[in-house]
Amino acid sequence: MTSKALAVIGALSLLATACGGDGSADTATTAAAQTTAAAETTAAPDTTAAPETSAAVDTTGVGGDGVLEVPAEFATIQGAVDAAVPGDLILIAPGTYNEAVNVTTDNLTIRGLDRNTVVLDGNFELDNGIRVLGAKGVAVENMTATNYTSNGFFWTGAEGYRGSYLTAYRTGDYGVYAFDSVTGQLDHIYAAGSPDAGVYVGQCFPCDAVLDQIVSEHNGLGYSGTNSGGNLLIINSVFRNNRAGIVPNSGSYELCYPERQTTIVGNVVYSNNQPDTPAIDVALLAMGNGILSAGGVLNVIERNLVYDHDKSGIGLVPFLEEDPNDDMPTAAEWDMPCTEAKQQPVNDPGGALLWDSQQNRVIGNVLENNRVADILVASAGTDVSTLGNCASGNTFTLSLPKNIETLAPCDGTGSGDWKDGEYPIATWLGETHPPSVDWKIATLPPLQPQENMPDAATAPANPATNVPYAVDLAAITVPAKPA
Amino acid sequence: MRRSAAAFLAVLVLVSCAHGAGDEPAAGHTHTHLDTADGKPDRVIAGPQGGRGQFVVECGFSHVGTDDPIVHPGRPGASHEHVFFGNTTTDAASTLVSLDAGDTTCEQQLDRAAYWAPALYDGSTMVTPVKSTAYYRAGLDVDPTSVQPYPSGLMMIAGNAAATAEQPLEVVAWTCGAGIERSTLPPECPPGRNLRLILTFPDCWDGVHLDTANHIDHVAYSTGGACPSTHPVAVPQLQFSVEYDHTGPIDGLALTSGGLLSGHADFVNAWDADKLAGEVRLCLHRDVVCGVTSGKTTS
Repeated sequence: MTSKALAVIGALSLLATACGGDGSADTATTAAAQTTAAAETTAAPDTTAAPETSAAVDTTGVGGDGVLEVPAEFATIQGAVDAAVPGDLILIAPGTYNEAVNVTTDNLTIRGLDRNTVVLDGNFELDNGIRVLGAKGVAVENMTATNYTSNGFFWTGAEGYRGSYLTAYRTGDYGVYAFDSVTGQLDHIYAAGSPDAGVYVGQCFPCDAVLDQIVSEHNGLGYSGTNSGGNLLIINSVFRNNRAGIVPNSGSYELCYPERQTTIVGNVVYSNNQPDTPAIDVALLAMGNGILSAGGVLNVIERNLVYDHDKSGIGLVPFLEEDPNDDMPTAAEWDMPCTEAKQQPVNDPGGALLWDSQQNRVIGNVLENNRVADILVASAGTDVSTLGNCASGNTFTLSLPKNIETLAPCDGTGSGDWKDGEYPIATWLGETHPPSVDWKIATLPPLQPQENMPDAATAPANPATNVPYAVDLAAITVPAKPA
Repeated sequence: MRRSAAAFLAVLVLVSCAHGAGDEPAAGHTHTHLDTADGKPDRVIAGPQGGRGQFVVECGFSHVGTDDPIVHPGRPGASHEHVFFGNTTTDAASTLVSLDAGDTTCEQQLDRAAYWAPALYDGSTMVTPVKSTAYYRAGLDVDPTSVQPYPSGLMMIAGNAAATAEQPLEVVAWTCGAGIERSTLPPECPPGRNLRLILTFPDCWDGVHLDTANHIDHVAYSTGGACPSTHPVAVPQLQFSVEYDHTGPIDGLALTSGGLLSGHADFVNAWDADKLAGEVRLCLHRDVVCGVTSGKTTS
């Protein structure tokens, strides 16, 4: 960041304050909307007009219709957010907005008029496109965030959240990120080009969240969820061409371990061997796997189509945590809510932790061309026959151990030799992979137009007070193979 | 009582140091810093992330140099060798104005603070740092809503470059990777878990001075969740972690400040002031997690 750029931001800060900001907003968030040469939209925001425009506007958003328009009424998204009261709708016209927006007001709806041309652009300098900090019920919909050094869309400490019709493209950590947040819904998401996960839900139990109709590609991980679960559904989505596809995991580096009770149904997961994505270490380690439970327990993986992976289609494997921050909870503590778990004292376990995948159910999936195994169940020292994982009704060619549905049926008693086809999972730790590519320059699929939400201009405010919607899991069938 | 005695001692140290440094412009063993034993935090924040409000900044290694703009301002080459992170222009001539005009190696582009620590050598070869990580939180048990941003230009030192005995783990600690286990000397780290040096900075400020003659008296550590009356302004507690590209035996290792017990780090606040104030207000006052470092590239 140069001093010249700072001076510009400083000047824009003043504008933003005049436009209804609270005067204490941080610099990044008040960097006013600027058009770029690339954004040839007719309604592009014009910062030079900001002071006059805002002076004429009822900045409270209360005396009017509860709809705060950007840039017509507020030059910046942040200006509108700061002026809004719970229940308001912030409506953003097409344009490129160089803003990092922070939201601390409950029950706002922040909406783009057009998903593909309302673009928040961090210019590789700003941290998060939209960051919701402990505010309840904030819905963000119908827009694109790109080139942010941290995340595209980020909820932290939120009770009630919704992200719909969002595109996150080329971001430094995650595309769409819900941390320590509960009662949520992420739907119609496209996420590409993050070294960590395209979509992440972590540190919650029960999470009470639905992830539906997501397309996540060319990320380190398509989905990641550390220590999350409990009525957490990942359904009807596509995870392709990431290093690894859907990777829930346990670990004591964040709270509320283990990962458990994530339900993964009706997804298409394919070709997650992509060698040229940005990737954190865990993504490298998990490379070549479709759905990988890394130390997760009590997950349900059902009726997914999973194909073309160098390693496993569905893997139930351990997560080795060599430098843990706490000891491991016992199975009797698995139902402890996150709020309670946070209050527990931590204990140095005095050595590495091996988080085994336990009591997961793999049912009715269709798997093909997963080259180590379609279904892989492994540990690194624990007798894998004791871990309580099961598989039934899958269409597949090879499992390791062999004949997994005979060894461990989900209904009934298993039989056979667990040593037949026992897989040396620890060898993964010693493997090398194509290195991470800098997220700023990684080759990504060109951004295609993405589906808009219905009636963006006319639909009323819709804060995240009624999420997630009910899902009829039984009605979901194995998806068809894409053309 | 102890503080005034300490201040007196500090003056002696500084005088002797200034003399020595003049004789040995690039010496690796100048003793400059006061023992902080009378001002350490009573406990240290460790364990899983995610339980308390924080913001985190990861910064790439910027440069190496025998400069120290806090201890030897205006005297290039007067210090032991340091590794610098964050602001790319940090040198003996650095001022707040020059730092404000500098670029940064941090992912957070509005953090142009200067961070530095002694270089680590393995025999005659410098161990290249991989990155630094700065965790900003309220001090343990400190009311997070009471925390104020650092004033621009605030200078702080954590740890004692002159230490020849073990320093408090609450201030100076070594780890392998990011685990809870901390030790006063570097452990022998297994492959894949790089050696890290973690410094915990003071979290209370006197409200007046950006620096003091011994570079210590203007700041203090909170105790039992409270700042002392002499340093009534709670500021974020910075835990600063330097990751070195090193695993395995520690036999040949030495810090340029002398041995392996002289761990310390320095900080000059050159954050964008509005951004820092925003992060304090949004992340610490609201007690939400604005970022974690888990899972990032570690080796």
